[in-house]
Amino acid sequence: MTQDSEWEPRLLGLLCKWCSYAGADLAGTGRKKYPANIRIIKVPCSGRIDPLLIVKALRLGFDGVLVSGCHPGDCHYQTGNYRARRRLAITRKFLEGMGVDPRRLRATWVSASESGKFVEVVSDLVKDLKEIGPNELFGGKKQPDAEKAKTGS
Amino acid sequence: MSYSAAKNSQMQKKLRQEAKALLEQGKVDCIIGYEPGSLKHATTPLITKDKAATERLVINPFIVNNLSNFLPYTKGRIGIVAKGCDSRSIVSLIQDNKVKREDLFILGVPCSGLIDVSKVEALVGKYRDEIDDISRQGDIITVKVGAAKKEFSLSQVMFDNCLACELPTPAEYDVLLGEPTSPIGAAAESAGKLDELKAMTAAQRWAFWQNEFRRCTRCYACRNVCPACYCKRCFVDETEPQWLAPMPQEPDNLMFQIIRNLHVSGRCTDCGECERTCPVNIPLRALTRDMYDIVDELFEFKSGMDTKTQPLLTAYEVDEAEDLVK
Repeated sequence: MTQDSEWEPRLLGLLCKWCSYAGADLAGTGRKKYPANIRIIKVPCSGRIDPLLIVKALRLGFDGVLVSGCHPGDCHYQTGNYRARRRLAITRKFLEGMGVDPRRLRATWVSASESGKFVEVVSDLVKDLKEIGPNELFGGKKQPDAEKAKTGS
Repeated sequence: MSYSAAKNSQMQKKLRQEAKALLEQGKVDCIIGYEPGSLKHATTPLITKDKAATERLVINPFIVNNLSNFLPYTKGRIGIVAKGCDSRSIVSLIQDNKVKREDLFILGVPCSGLIDVSKVEALVGKYRDEIDDISRQGDIITVKVGAAKKEFSLSQVMFDNCLACELPTPAEYDVLLGEPTSPIGAAAESAGKLDELKAMTAAQRWAFWQNEFRRCTRCYACRNVCPACYCKRCFVDETEPQWLAPMPQEPDNLMFQIIRNLHVSGRCTDCGECERTCPVNIPLRALTRDMYDIVDELFEFKSGMDTKTQPLLTAYEVDEAEDLVK
């Protein structure tokens, strides 16, 4: 593994607007500390997450993807998270079959009050990703924000 | 029922009669079937409104195309020739509301498996044009080249997906043109590539696919030939945001095929059209078969079996796949 001491995994969080995003927000207002390795995108519902978004994140060089929605039964749209679960189960299994470490895709349910759980999940995933090492699946292309930081735009 | 040429020609005769009668009585606006192709040992799709053209319809062990691909783009009532695998794709399209059952007249062909001419070519070391005759009697395939004659078994020359076929006789039809057939039941012999891949480590598997997709030209033939890929606007054609670079390069080619497989999950019937059409011979069935097995294992779902079933990704159970979520 090509881990130098400076290497920090980067992960993309796709968080549902109603529960998990609010949970992450609460972690912030509650002054809880979670690893800064995560970049968060707010989605209307975990049911909105097309596997395309997950694979694109890996293509861009993110080391892992965290998908988080409301607990079963708590979906704002009643059934979005159940549908998401089906899709994610297939996505993870298929990627594993092709040779992607399944730990790179993590799914979890975090409610708006579970800031503690959010911190836990992110820390745990970062720990896992440090074990797995950098994502070089798609040639380890630089992420857009890393490129931007270099050019200063 | 074992295969015989006589039974086959009977079936063909019945098909021509039925097709002609359907057009004459105005029960359908057009017929979609197969006619002899311009190459030897090949057929080509025939879409016709002409009664006389029904005399060109054929049924033989080379009717490879999955004709259900034409359905979402064909207007009016359609009479369609369907083997077992095609009937599953048709059922899948009905489940997705892409075609209406009442607009279809399905001429069901009890299939005994199709011959992969490229396998025959490899076995006898001759090109398609140089092979004079490929005929089947029972479970023996006889290939004639000039005066020479060679015999092969089914597992040597049949398409891999025919060997693993679960439904040779259509489940959904209006007329069945012959007696029902039973599966060849040689799935173990057909899973070759997938078994090989499963024995590899994850890194080796990924390296294998990277290598395969290096020669992909992203011609999109696999997408265009797929009955489950009917989106009017495919994600690869989108420009805002642009998901893939237009230039074919290995990482994007690979990503394209991953997403394509995920998008057709639960609708892909493993008919093998993508692998057959691939101009650079990427073993795509190792992916579709894997997806087919995953869907079956996780949700006990087999695509295209019953018109009443809800499509996989629009349905859910409250307690399933719970180990996914931590």
